[in-house]
Amino acid sequence: MARTKGYPEALDKKLADTRLYEDERHPDFTKTVEKVSMTIPHMCFQCGTCTASCPSAPRSSYRIRKFVRRALLGLEDEALTDPDLWLCTTCYSCTDRCPRDIAPTDVIMAMRNLAFKRDIVPVNFLKTVQAIYTTGHGVPNNDVNRAARQKLGLNAEPPTTHGFPQYVKGIQYILDYYELKKNADRIVKEREG
Amino acid sequence: MREYAFFLGCIAPNRYPGAESASYKTSEKLGIKLLDLEGASCCPAPGAFGSIDLDIWYAMAARNLILAEQMKKDIALICNGCYKSIWEVNHKLKHHPELKERVNEVLKGIDMEFKGSIDVWHLAELFYDPEIVGLQKIRDSITVPLEGTRIAVHYGCHLMKPKKERHFGTTEHPTWIEEMVAALGAEPVEYRNKMLCCGAGGGVRGYDLVHSIDITNEKMINLKEAKVDALTEVCPFCQLQFDRGQIEIEEKFGVKYGLPVLHYCELLGLAQGMSPQELALDLHAVSCEPFLEKVL
Repeated sequence: MARTKGYPEALDKKLADTRLYEDERHPDFTKTVEKVSMTIPHMCFQCGTCTASCPSAPRSSYRIRKFVRRALLGLEDEALTDPDLWLCTTCYSCTDRCPRDIAPTDVIMAMRNLAFKRDIVPVNFLKTVQAIYTTGHGVPNNDVNRAARQKLGLNAEPPTTHGFPQYVKGIQYILDYYELKKNADRIVKEREG
Repeated sequence: MREYAFFLGCIAPNRYPGAESASYKTSEKLGIKLLDLEGASCCPAPGAFGSIDLDIWYAMAARNLILAEQMKKDIALICNGCYKSIWEVNHKLKHHPELKERVNEVLKGIDMEFKGSIDVWHLAELFYDPEIVGLQKIRDSITVPLEGTRIAVHYGCHLMKPKKERHFGTTEHPTWIEEMVAALGAEPVEYRNKMLCCGAGGGVRGYDLVHSIDITNEKMINLKEAKVDALTEVCPFCQLQFDRGQIEIEEKFGVKYGLPVLHYCELLGLAQGMSPQELALDLHAVSCEPFLEKVL
């Protein structure tokens, strides 16, 4: 980088964090995100309509515009290790308002998929997987609810995998096919012992 | 009588059974019969599963779709989250042959094949559609008009957004559910930033509860400002977030709102003469009494 002679050292230090280093960039990351998300982050001109529409932005440091920028600069590590990645409520307001026809929400979803491949995932996501593997439901039935259902004249168990548990096998087959249960158990065990 | 396979999801049958029960009874009065979709599972949760691996999300949702394909019935459902999974995966698999092939390759192992022979509907859109039910029929079915009540509507996100993929028109200021509320004799009320998310989606409720209910709190502030008697929605997950969320807001932020939150089917049930007991309104975290006193 060209430098002015006698460039003040303090400023140099201050700007160090904002510089983009070539070795942090992974062009493949941009391509993978585009493929998984089926959208076009490279069209982004950084207007910020997405962040302005975001319900998570006013109450956190989560900036969706930044993630789209990271997608197209190929800043894989920076994007995937940022805990803010998991603050998107997937409300799709940004997607509806994007003047470049990008779906920033889907960019986030693709990045989360790629993060999971590196075991970066909050435990609550995996617990939903475990619940579905056992019962077929992410929010399973309980005794209070069973009693209430019967009072309403419904069966204590709804006619889903709860009432027909033989169907759970098919669900377990799909999750085992992708080794999702195995990975979920392993990661939860690593985190919680 | 039109027949649909009723996809229940998780939260309606397992937390708000009154909404499930009301769906059967109210739609029957409007000429829609909801049939059991035996062996259906979680849709699966678009936030949790979509975030982990979209391919697994496609395959799991396809399994639910195939169950309805085998019944040769369109699916009707009452939850926006389920709509996102079931409608969107159906749509994607129909329009992306290579995706469909990938999913069918997995499902071969359990002798299932996605064909793409059915459609998916939210019960609310069937109620609104004049060719199926329509506002007039809703009005004619009412025996206890909800006169003198002010009701706000929360649309939720995944029913209508992203608008380019859906068929509901504007997502900035829709009014069709307000029309359905007015059909019950109540006064629909507008409030600030109506289309704001409830805060529960995308796995955020489980990941960071305080962040999640802070979004809910913003909605509650706007609703309080509009002086409404109740909030209605068409998504049990939003319902959970507003209903139990108010208790959590009280615990974490020390603010109490006491705003009753009812699924549109529960509201319709009340207006069609169902009792609060038949709707299991006592299971709601926030008491519906103040609203019921005005109505009954």
